[in-house]
Amino acid sequence: MHPDVLVIGAGITGMMAALHLSDGGARVTMVDAGENAGTWANAGSLHVQMQSRFMRLYPDQVPAVEASLPLYKAAAEEWVRLDTLYGPFELVRKGGLMLAEGAEQLRFLEAKAQRETARGLSVELLDRPALDRIAPWLGPQIVGAELCHDEGKLNPLIANARLLAVLGQRGIATLRDRILAISQDKGGITVQGQSASYRADQVIVASAWGAGHMVQGLGVTIPTRAEPLHMNITEAAAVSISHLIQHAERSITLKQLGQGQIVIGGGWPALDRGRSMPPGVLAASFLGNVALAARLVPQIGGLRVIRTWAGMNTTADGGSTIGRLPQAQGVVMALPGDAGYTLGPLVGRMAAQVALGAQPDADMARFAPARFAA
Amino acid sequence: MTGQPAGHFTFDGKSVPLRPGQSLAAALTEAGLRSFRQTAKGATRGIFCGMGVCQDCLVTVNGAPNRRACMTPAVAGQDIRTQVPFPDLATAPNPQPAAPARVIAPDLLIVGGGAGGLSAAIAARRAGASVTILDERKVGGGQYFKQSAVSGPLDAQQSAGADLLAQALAAGAELIGEVEIWGAFDGLLFLAEHKGAALIARPRAAIIATGAYERPEIRPGWTLPGVMTTGAAQTLWRSYRTLPGKRVALVGSGPLNLQVGLELAQGGAEVVMIAERGPAPWLRPIAAAALALSGPALAWTGLRSLADLRKRGVPVRHGAALDRIDAAEGALRVTLMGDLSPVIADAVLMNAGFDPQNEILRLLGAEAIYDPAFGHLRITRDDTCATTVPGLYAVGDCAGLGGAPAAMAEGRIAGRAAAAALGFGDGYDTFADQRQLGRARRFQRHLWALHDVAPRLPDVPDDTLICRCEEIDAGQIRAGLGEKPGHAGTLKRATRVGMGRCQGRYCGPVAARLVAAATGTPVQDRSYFAPRVPIKPVAISAILAAEEALKDAP
Ligand SMILES: Cc1cc2nc3c(=O)[nH]c(=O)nc-3n(C[C@H](O)[C@H](O)[C@H](O)COP(=O)(O)OP(=O)(O)OC[C@H]3O[C@@H](n4cnc5c(N)ncnc54)[C@H](O)[C@@H]3O)c2cc1C
Ligand SMILES: Cc1cc2nc3c(=O)[nH]c(=O)nc-3n(C[C@H](O)[C@H](O)[C@H](O)COP(=O)(O)OP(=O)(O)OC[C@H]3O[C@@H](n4cnc5c(N)ncnc54)[C@H](O)[C@@H]3O)c2cc1C
Ligand code: FES
Repeated sequence: MHPDVLVIGAGITGMMAALHLSDGGARVTMVDAGENAGTWANAGSLHVQMQSRFMRLYPDQVPAVEASLPLYKAAAEEWVRLDTLYGPFELVRKGGLMLAEGAEQLRFLEAKAQRETARGLSVELLDRPALDRIAPWLGPQIVGAELCHDEGKLNPLIANARLLAVLGQRGIATLRDRILAISQDKGGITVQGQSASYRADQVIVASAWGAGHMVQGLGVTIPTRAEPLHMNITEAAAVSISHLIQHAERSITLKQLGQGQIVIGGGWPALDRGRSMPPGVLAASFLGNVALAARLVPQIGGLRVIRTWAGMNTTADGGSTIGRLPQAQGVVMALPGDAGYTLGPLVGRMAAQVALGAQPDADMARFAPARFAA
Repeated sequence: MTGQPAGHFTFDGKSVPLRPGQSLAAALTEAGLRSFRQTAKGATRGIFCGMGVCQDCLVTVNGAPNRRACMTPAVAGQDIRTQVPFPDLATAPNPQPAAPARVIAPDLLIVGGGAGGLSAAIAARRAGASVTILDERKVGGGQYFKQSAVSGPLDAQQSAGADLLAQALAAGAELIGEVEIWGAFDGLLFLAEHKGAALIARPRAAIIATGAYERPEIRPGWTLPGVMTTGAAQTLWRSYRTLPGKRVALVGSGPLNLQVGLELAQGGAEVVMIAERGPAPWLRPIAAAALALSGPALAWTGLRSLADLRKRGVPVRHGAALDRIDAAEGALRVTLMGDLSPVIADAVLMNAGFDPQNEILRLLGAEAIYDPAFGHLRITRDDTCATTVPGLYAVGDCAGLGGAPAAMAEGRIAGRAAAAALGFGDGYDTFADQRQLGRARRFQRHLWALHDVAPRLPDVPDDTLICRCEEIDAGQIRAGLGEKPGHAGTLKRATRVGMGRCQGRYCGPVAARLVAAATGTPVQDRSYFAPRVPIKPVAISAILAAEEALKDAP
């Protein structure tokens, strides 16, 4: 008997869960509200090392992130696998540089690098002369950096379009509906949507910020929150920046796409304008984010920013949530932790394995939804 | 052509003469140079819109990449180079702000110093409000009055504009030129670039008067160098006394083509053809009579230009639409639909209507309603021209096409109302202005009824570009539509249509219409790409300067 699985949420996590389910022989359908998916707004950075922005904003969540560092490394490798199978997605894995502007920041990075090495990441500390050999365009105030070889970047527009086409070839349909509640009975799962009600043997919940509310009645309180963020993009220049650039203390990601544009972001807040409209861009975020980029990489000063956009990121407790709900075994959660686009494909695959009755190759207890038992 | 060369600059090493006040685009055009930049796919581009919108005229100026030749004054000794698609950042000079950032806080900020903006400034200033007008151009006056940037005699339209400009200054309004507004944020914060420095405005109220830009004929060949909008050619001639080329053809629909065709013929160009989509007025006697009754003077001017053109032997073909433009014999071959005898021209000018420059208004959340007759949004306004956003007014073509006389009446009404709302003057009886406005709007309705500017779905071969900037062709867009996008934004993410420097000014309305047609929904406010800062590309150095100026402010 093939399980009949409904995947709620058609972002990167839901899409990849559906693909693995289908490859595993399951009949699968997706349902999505078509609202503010992070997947269609994200910047395509493949994050592996701990992000300082995150460590500063959510110090209580650091232990959870640190414990899942091996997951990030495996997630980046999952992207490489997808890139080979369905790409190319302009995926480049030259590593990520986290910059230090003073001795104290360098010490912070040193300590961080030790913790990350202990978790199996490939990191090294570079002084300025070493940096000059690979990134001579950095501002003069940069004294050194941590280089994480596992990191990289890809073009999410290309990746999303290609993967969507693969789902199309498999005949996996996406229904447009807003899911209000999920309940389980002896015969299976009932999913209540705004315009219809759906039955399935199992359900995978990959609805990011919309997930907590949906499973409220099923014995868990998952504190998923929508976090509006914005990004900036410049006109194209000859490609000279091959690393993903971050900062030891401040919120920034900067990278250059294969087509030459420079993408600047790093989690600057945007304005929530409700469900029917994408978030708005705030003056302080726009100015602060781009100005910081210009200080770190002065040579972009002559380029023009041509566009900004904003979308919804999701936060919960920093860690990923993957596995069956204790009180509703037919409901499998698939919620990536921080840097959800990096994690999405792997998390989707692991959730699909759980639904298919297989045991993913990871310490699943760490991701168990039971930690949110109400 | 008037004026002596005031020196030379070089273009890819070759010497090019310039006259005082000329833009780089004008000087290059006068020298017969048409290709300014190379695209990522190896095509060449030159001046197209002539007003800072299309971003196709980019050149490298003294090593600094991506400068718009149409908005950059020519200066003796400049080193100008063809813009390559991927400039090398390591060799580009890192621009330093020319001056410290400037912060202004007038009672009333007016964006756009054209017919509408200047009229608003005079009214508000006379009521006692402090007024600053910002305009992207070096000289005020806007599209209708098109002030001359080079010395030379003024025509009647230009003298009327000079007069309006003088009145605004005499009333005590401050006009700052060469200011490009690129950001507008809630609470009325405006960010702009002024000659490489940052300008920040925090007014108590704002009147947006940014006018319109031209709707092109999206046909095979519309991106070739030498093909430009009719307004671009008009600016070359009226502001810089530069002809767009020796032999000129005009295509599209609307009164501007006839007027500019005549201006260029009078200026010494050989106008080889004017193709007008609309039928001849003598075939539509009732509509023509309605036009004549609603505005006898203006209608008469229009008829006189037609007669003048005929006298000069310019073939004006009504009911004729552009099929394609091809590069041929060092010039351009223009073929009309169903026509076997193409004409050869050095420049092809196109205008098929106008689209409002409503980006600032939409960014600030002003509501709008789609006008199917004109194929563009009309900003929702009360009878004082106030939008649905508190303290924000819209006048002139940016709120929906209305023409210069309507823009002026709206400016007077909004200027007075905005001042009164701020406690200046009593916003006295606007009866006369309202009546004039009514008349001007009636005339416009009858005028456009004689032309054919109905928005079209592009019926072009697959290899015709729809998105100039990202070089996305009709075939790619058709494939994208096959994925059944629910919104133009989805089509954009799937195909990159509208992701380039002009931010979808030309392909955006097309994408909105295509998606609406494919989904069977009417076009509306939300059908278009979401408005976003920056509304025009802005140098990172200017953002850095603005951030430094605002950092310590509350
Ligand atoms: C601006 C920005 C930049 C980012 N950059 C990066 C980056 O560079 N690298 C990185 O790793 N991560 C990045 N992220 C985070 C990343 O985008 C997300 O974490 C990731 O896309 C999550 O994928 P997902 O499939 O789990 O959820 P999403 O893509 O958010 O999809 C969730 C889906 O669930 C649907 N849904 C929600 N509620 C309901 C409901 N009640 N009924 C039906 N459907 C529902 C939504 O419509 C949506 O389609 C960024 C995020 C933002 C906003
Ligand atoms: C190219 C063109 C040619 C035209 N020629 C004629 C003609 O010959 N005869 C005729 O009857 N009508 C003509 N029209 C129509 C006529 O110009 C308008 O109806 C009239 O000018 C409307 O006045 P306005 O004040 O609304 O806008 P405009 O007169 O267009 O003034 C708008 C002003 O705003 C400025 N501006 C726009 N955006 C920004 C920004 N982001 N930052 C700073 N400044 C900005 C512009 O530089 C411009 O000066 C033309 C229109 C165009 C677009
Ligand atoms: S011609 Fe200069 S921007 Fe269009």
